[in-house]
Amino acid sequence: MAAADLNAIRATIEGRLATELAGDPAIPVVFHNMAYEPTPQASWVQCLVSFGASEYLSQGLTTDSQNRLIGIVTINIFSAKGVGSGANYIIGKRIRDLYNRVIVSGVFFDAATGPEALALPSPEGYFQTQVRVTFESIEEL
Amino acid sequence: MATLRGEQGAVQFSAAGGSKATVVGTRSWSLTTTKETLDTSKQGDNFRTFIGSMVSGSGSVELVYDPDATGQAAFLEDVITAADPADATFELFTTGTSSGADSVSFAGILTDMEITSAAGELVVVSCSFITSGTITMNLE
Repeated sequence: MAAADLNAIRATIEGRLATELAGDPAIPVVFHNMAYEPTPQASWVQCLVSFGASEYLSQGLTTDSQNRLIGIVTINIFSAKGVGSGANYIIGKRIRDLYNRVIVSGVFFDAATGPEALALPSPEGYFQTQVRVTFESIEEL
Repeated sequence: MATLRGEQGAVQFSAAGGSKATVVGTRSWSLTTTKETLDTSKQGDNFRTFIGSMVSGSGSVELVYDPDATGQAAFLEDVITAADPADATFELFTTGTSSGADSVSFAGILTDMEITSAAGELVVVSCSFITSGTITMNLE
């Protein structure tokens, strides 16, 4: 029983993606607050983990009590521009399957959204899709 | 003045008397206490009169189910106690867990237990109870 370790939750989420994308074919992945210079016309992935609202789950204040922590992982998938969407969606499926309704290390992932094509990629020069997965973790005090 | 919030509450329980322990994971509790009344109106009266009679109580406790949470299993499974002698003891706290303070305590019988599992939701348990014998209130 302890307050939630946000870095442990983040590591669970990011570690899962890093391991998957290190496999064949390997795809560079970059996380929050990391500098990265993408290679033009090459695929790469950006993973952003954000924690949002928490709510009371049970009575008991700071002992013998539970909170629900809710967050979202947003994964941007960038692939070469002007060559169709197939290569991008292959990466999208790998990522979606990684989180879709999975429970790992006390993190409950909901049904994944996307990959959703974005009309205005950021940075420009790529075809960009986005996979979003909300997640929750139960904090036990 | 000090208003309270529901998350300050707690439930303590013992299945067969003895010292009560906190049931971890309770989300809410409620207690309704009822006093029966006896009609003492006489012929010639224009207005009914009453005196108070027997007092009883009933209520419910809702929990977020966790098979490993301290005290939950003993609480939930008390509903299947056969020929229940009403030896279970409850203490419902509005705040804290100091026995005899900010609480209502009584012996009682768990009469109902409903566990619900639905996709996308937490598994929750709802229990009902009735009191048996003295209800001690320390709500001041």
